[in-house]
Amino acid sequence: MQAESIDSVKFTTLSPELIKRMSVAKLIVSDTYNEDGYPIDGGVVDQRLGVIDPGLKCKTCGGRAKSCPGHFGHIELVRPVIHPEFAKTVYLLLQSTCEKCFRILLSEQQIAEVRPAIEKFVKEEGEDEIVAPIVKEAEMRGSPMVKKLKSVKKCPHCGAPQRKLKLERPTFFYVEGNRIRPDEIRDWLSKVSNDDLSLLGIDPIATRPEWLVITTLLVPPVNVRPSITLESGERSEDDLTHKLVDIMRINQRLGQDIDAGAPQIIIDDLWELLQYQVTTYFNNETPGVPVARHRSTRPLKTLAQRLKGKEGRLRYNLSGKRVNFSARTVICSDARLTINQVGVPRRIAENLTVPIYVTQWNIDHAKEYLARTEYPMVLNVLSKDGIRKRVTDVNRDELLKALVPGFVLERQLIDGDLALFNRQPTLHRLSVMAHVCKILPGKTLRLNTSAAVPYNADFDGDEMNLHVPQSIEAQAEARYLMQPKDLILSPKDGRPIMFTEEDQIAGLYMLTKDDAYFTKEDTSILLSSVNIYDMPKKEKNGMYSGKAIFSMILPKDLDYTATSMGGKVVIKDGELVDGIIGENTIGFGGPLILEMFEKYGPDATEKFLHDVSTIAVRSVYTAGMTISIRDYYETEEIRKENERIVKEADEKAAALMSSYKEGKLESLPGYTRRETLELELRVQLDMAREIAAKFLQKNLTPQNNAYLMAMVKAKGNILNFVQISMLLGQQAVRGRRPARGYNGRILTYFKRNDKSPEARGFIRSCFIEGLTPTELYMHAMGARDSAMTKSLITAVSGYMQRRLINALQDLYVAEESSVKDASGALIETIYGGDGIDPTMEMIAKKKRQ
Amino acid sequence: MAEKKDRDLSVSRGEAVGVVAAQSIGEPGTQMVLRSFHSAGISSMITTTGLPRVIEIVDARKRPKFPMMEVRLEKNVSKNYDRVKDIWKKIEEIKVSGVMDRFEENLKSGVLLIFLNKEKMERYEIAARTVAARLSKMEGVSVDQDGDTLKIKVKEKEIRSVRTKFVKIMGHTIGGVPGIMKVVAQQDDEGTFFLTTSGSNIEGVLQIEGVDKDNVYSNDIFEVMRVYGIEAARNLIASELMKTIKEESITVGFRHLGLVADAMTHTGAIKSVGRHGIAGEKESVFARAAYEETVKHFTNASVFGEVDRLKGVAENILIGKQIGVGTGRVRLAIKKEELKKIRKRD
Repeated sequence: MQAESIDSVKFTTLSPELIKRMSVAKLIVSDTYNEDGYPIDGGVVDQRLGVIDPGLKCKTCGGRAKSCPGHFGHIELVRPVIHPEFAKTVYLLLQSTCEKCFRILLSEQQIAEVRPAIEKFVKEEGEDEIVAPIVKEAEMRGSPMVKKLKSVKKCPHCGAPQRKLKLERPTFFYVEGNRIRPDEIRDWLSKVSNDDLSLLGIDPIATRPEWLVITTLLVPPVNVRPSITLESGERSEDDLTHKLVDIMRINQRLGQDIDAGAPQIIIDDLWELLQYQVTTYFNNETPGVPVARHRSTRPLKTLAQRLKGKEGRLRYNLSGKRVNFSARTVICSDARLTINQVGVPRRIAENLTVPIYVTQWNIDHAKEYLARTEYPMVLNVLSKDGIRKRVTDVNRDELLKALVPGFVLERQLIDGDLALFNRQPTLHRLSVMAHVCKILPGKTLRLNTSAAVPYNADFDGDEMNLHVPQSIEAQAEARYLMQPKDLILSPKDGRPIMFTEEDQIAGLYMLTKDDAYFTKEDTSILLSSVNIYDMPKKEKNGMYSGKAIFSMILPKDLDYTATSMGGKVVIKDGELVDGIIGENTIGFGGPLILEMFEKYGPDATEKFLHDVSTIAVRSVYTAGMTISIRDYYETEEIRKENERIVKEADEKAAALMSSYKEGKLESLPGYTRRETLELELRVQLDMAREIAAKFLQKNLTPQNNAYLMAMVKAKGNILNFVQISMLLGQQAVRGRRPARGYNGRILTYFKRNDKSPEARGFIRSCFIEGLTPTELYMHAMGARDSAMTKSLITAVSGYMQRRLINALQDLYVAEESSVKDASGALIETIYGGDGIDPTMEMIAKKKRQ
Repeated sequence: MAEKKDRDLSVSRGEAVGVVAAQSIGEPGTQMVLRSFHSAGISSMITTTGLPRVIEIVDARKRPKFPMMEVRLEKNVSKNYDRVKDIWKKIEEIKVSGVMDRFEENLKSGVLLIFLNKEKMERYEIAARTVAARLSKMEGVSVDQDGDTLKIKVKEKEIRSVRTKFVKIMGHTIGGVPGIMKVVAQQDDEGTFFLTTSGSNIEGVLQIEGVDKDNVYSNDIFEVMRVYGIEAARNLIASELMKTIKEESITVGFRHLGLVADAMTHTGAIKSVGRHGIAGEKESVFARAAYEETVKHFTNASVFGEVDRLKGVAENILIGKQIGVGTGRVRLAIKKEELKKIRKRD
């Protein structure tokens, strides 16, 4: 497929001669179509530049709209104009050369000093094929030599005094207040010798400076600026065409006026207008130039705008591409799938295809496939020359007969195919993984909840994308490098990134807590859910302990000890001897999963995760787990304590405020007294919530299911509890107590400069009771602040990540675990100091101990 | 169950470790706080934290917004609070404005009256005499001392420049280390005292007696580079990143942060990660153009006749070729004779 491969790209400027050689037509008419809607010869949509109307033929190559790539034309400008994007370069060159003898403003002695340095540079950079010096802009502008040239007063070669030059943006040059015309500049530049140019780092073969003053303007083919026909039959031209028409029109007028001998002022005016048109043609956002607009006052999108920015050619069309063989829909969870699978709706499977490359060895299989007329069947046949034909009932037999090795069949997606699954924003490499497809009824893509963690997906309406790799190479890469089961450990820190959550944690608690015993019936239900049909050995009064049941899914030679949930977790010879399997054993960053992955590998870990979550969820079903508002309902005891806490907070605040008023409050080092008061108040009031949390922790029992969930870290935390049944506590805006609104107060309800808790966002009600009107405002302020911050932080951190990736994307591991960048520069001698794979970091750490 | 395998823990050749590092830092970015201040403990110093600090480091700002130092003291003083206090007083910068009550200025005659505050001077253990002596060393300033009142006359004539001179006089350092605004003594678990300062001046602090010269920490990356060299700066970048990320209770492997630091410093100077640093100084024209300032890079490239040799990732994606990292780096090598043999067989 890569028959020809680009080795390097050299950037140059086009000379007028080259433009003329490239051009197939000199354009002379400032119009597009005649009355019949037919392109005018010599106009900007001349048929020699290619055609876009399906009926017409290109006058240069004879091709039709589809086959003709288009050809360049040119416009001869009556008077030269400065290329706006090169104005700065022109300025630099004028400053660095003598206005009389056009030599570089360096004495022969200085030249002798500089030359060897440049030549050395050339040799190092260019090896043999590149002769001209490559000096980067930064190096050139930054070199003290070039900087000094600006201030040279007298030419060291001819002794002529150098006058002060000025560039008035965008394209006007003045020498001591007198304008230098572009043609004069062109003459000046053309007399600078190649030798002198190379001293400045400019490559005279790539760019002769006089080319930076445009005399001949290259006109891109119409294919680059196609017109669109509106529904009304009206033609709407591309912005570039509009601009070219403008340039032509002014150019013509200028020519006529010069021929007619018009006064110089009129000519200069027109010339300036021509300069303006050309400037905006290249870049319609040139600073200091009024923006050229369409009739509808929409600014025109000219050349620079086409390339620039996120929606520009480079980032939108070249760095990223639209793809085929992909699907997108809403996702939802499916506990029956393993982390390695993805559930694909039948409808998607019927439309996505996987190629079968027909060879002499699989041709019989291919023929069988092609003959099929229902679901897993062949949709398209690609012949040897790459022509894609849709398989229909009519042409199937015909295609079957024509089938020979070298053909490609596109068959529908089936169970077991690998597909790349992705959720945006694609923040890290685990946002794209290769799942094994499982075709399912329904209309959503499905995945295991544990596999949703690396994608940061939830199921409240999230959508995800599915891509089917087409080439054998891509399929192999997906298989060996991208399957979730191989990626359980995160490259970020080497800890498991797929683990059990929520219901599963609650279930494991119910299953493995010390007093959990199950009847024979329950036990067999639990175990059969994970396809185990033996009973645990240990039996107690005909009951089986949950720990023993859990041990059934552990490998027989697993040893593991750790502290967890204030107790110990001991697994010996695959037997859970002691402890509860909790969140910090098997949840986020779970060491048990790490242990499994290290000892038994990806496949066993995949199965383990699946078994654990299945049996866990089955246990919650068995034990029963339900919460209601009653779990949160305040008892008399809670209400009293809440009153006490609020009163205490009020008293503390009052004490602080009065000590401030009496001048007793010592200011903390580095703060004023007022700041100190605010700081102390905040600390005191923030504490109210924590005191309440401690109280609840003491008084609630695991009989309360909502509390149980918070306790085992399945869902919710004690703070939620406090806010629901005791008090919301201090609200914060920008990390402080709310302080803005009316003059000196937040709501007119309060007195001015009231610093009391309730006037500054301390909420003493809870969600069950409901908030007072003023409290509601305070709460809304806090909520809005955090919503704003959240949206801001995604933008800020997104941009930071883009910059980081852009800076580091070329780094790779080279020989001997060293790290190098694209230019071959050594960044690290041994990656990370030890050459260890970041994914294996935790495992390596364990081994070292 | 699967058999026990001895896993190879080393990195694979060609692994795009740069991207992995960038993602490892960028991905948890959304979980970090945007709030730049951190004042959890009342006595602790104000420092930049969270995402703003990470961006500050990665951008290679010339000065951190809140420079900070941690100064360890020599063993024989570090347990004795009085001696610690002595050192503290030597380090904290004292400005004229810090020891005065009020001032009167006459801009026409260029005379400034400063009324010193006894209490404040006592706290810093500085006499009015010393203040006068220190001030008279300033250029174009003559000082008359009368008890706690200083009468200062300046050379300048023009009202505007007289005023700026007055401001300068009041901001003049009369004691301590310049740039150290505030010092707080803290005690660690073993009861050893150490000083944290806001403001950073390594060279100044190193000259103070009693300071453990091997244990001076500053969060000012450029200053550390100036004083201790580029390797120290590299380590500081990595450890400062680690510190800020850890504070958010996020774990990121140190190798990622080290790699960022190495990429920023491998030339011997500190380069920022943005458009004026690593990303903006890439060899490839396409890579630079695709990143930011597209037109500028193209026009300059044509003037200098630059050649893009298509070695990096961005330019190869742009061109449509396979990228040169990861599996894209792997090539099939075959001897010519072998190839001929295979061809013959077919």
